[in-house]
Amino acid sequence: MENFLEALQLMVIGMATVFSVLLLVICLGNLLIKAINKFAPEEVVKKVTSQSENVAIDPSVAQAIQLAIAQITNGKGKVEKIEKK
Amino acid sequence: MREILENIYGMTAINELIAQPGYLIMILLGFVLLYLGIKKEFEPLLLVPIAFGVLIANFPGGGMGVIATDGEGFVRYTLNGAEVVKNIYEMSLPEIAHDLGIMNFLYYALIKSGLLPPIIFMGVGALTDFGPMLRNLKLAIFGAAAQLGIFAVLLIGSQFFTMKEAASLAIIGGADGPTAIFTTLKLAPHLLGPIAIAAYSYMALVPVIVPLVVKLSCSEKELKINMKEQDKLYPSKTEFKNMRVLKIIFPIAVTTIVAIIVPDAVSLVGMLMFGNLIKEIGNNTSRLFNAASNGIMNTATIFLGLCVGATMTVDSFLNIQTIGIVVGGFFAFGLSILGGVLMVKVWNLFAKKKINPLVGATGLSAVPMASRVANDIALKYDPKNHVLNYCMSSNVSGVIGSAVAAGILISFLG
Repeated sequence: MENFLEALQLMVIGMATVFSVLLLVICLGNLLIKAINKFAPEEVVKKVTSQSENVAIDPSVAQAIQLAIAQITNGKGKVEKIEKK
Repeated sequence: MREILENIYGMTAINELIAQPGYLIMILLGFVLLYLGIKKEFEPLLLVPIAFGVLIANFPGGGMGVIATDGEGFVRYTLNGAEVVKNIYEMSLPEIAHDLGIMNFLYYALIKSGLLPPIIFMGVGALTDFGPMLRNLKLAIFGAAAQLGIFAVLLIGSQFFTMKEAASLAIIGGADGPTAIFTTLKLAPHLLGPIAIAAYSYMALVPVIVPLVVKLSCSEKELKINMKEQDKLYPSKTEFKNMRVLKIIFPIAVTTIVAIIVPDAVSLVGMLMFGNLIKEIGNNTSRLFNAASNGIMNTATIFLGLCVGATMTVDSFLNIQTIGIVVGGFFAFGLSILGGVLMVKVWNLFAKKKINPLVGATGLSAVPMASRVANDIALKYDPKNHVLNYCMSSNVSGVIGSAVAAGILISFLG
């Protein structure tokens, strides 16, 4: 009977402590989320433009492409962008 | 000629095996455990070393069995034909190796000192991702409810065992092998073998025990609760702007909190969180992470398994207490699952956003097997209901919960 009472006491203390610790972990997690969102949001990585995008298209080549498109589409098609790959 | 033959016969273990059939039972048990580990794939990484430890410890004359101490630390053994009684804690390690053999040396240096379970916890931490838990923080509370089995079996076990023995038996309900071993070493080291075997066997039986308890305690309607649909109905307001930093700070913060409230749990929780920290830091500590999760953990597992197996000698295993541990361990395991399920049911009575009881069932710390099993059960009832990530939250918090429970038991009874 003495053991039973000691075990019962330990059960109450044990479950209460486990719940308290995990509740604290949850509260702590929420606090950390808020603090990090406020003070250390993820850095936005700047998009690195590839070298190919910066390479200028020779105007004579661009004109030739525009003329070819206009001829094929009977003047309906327009060239918006020319990219080198 | 006859004398030579008698000498050869005397050299073999046959004579003692015939005189004491208990050895044969233990050798047979070693074979069965090896079969379960190799063929049935029951936690093979641990069961195979444990089974082999059982085997080599039970060949008479081999000197590979761990010699149990009495309550005051005295060991009795025969050296050069004379019986010797010494206090093990007053013997040096070289003396232990010389008098009692290499397995006792390993046991007292690595296991009894409490070294290996925290080291394995470091490896477990390195392999654990707290991401799912941080994304569903509220669900972590079910990891506390699922410790019910530990304390309920402590209550029942206190009627049949001493308090220290009952606590060691009860910790099986935490479903965490290293925690069970660590607690037993501190409270009832003479029960280490059967408790380790029961803990790892029931962990291997998670795919059987979890569905059984869930089937007995949950309705089909409850098991069909779709967590993603609940998320759509009641969306979370929490947004994560920097998960990487959160994952780095979290283990440091949890260690600090646990260390202040339950200092006896620090050796387990602290090492768990350290392992996790070196994983989350990334490239700068990747070498430490590799060592913790591979080399060190695997080495620790080999020695832990062999030494635990070697504690299972005829004298320490073949007794009525072992049956009590096997039965009590099963109840501890089952009640822990039930504790989590019941808390979800109570939660669902009051909350608008319903939770699938499987999330409660995975509050024990068998990570990630319990979550995978729960996910399979959910998919049976609704093929679109993937609950894995939600279950991982309570599952991972269960590791912390069982380590805290162990710390409380050691603190009060150790």
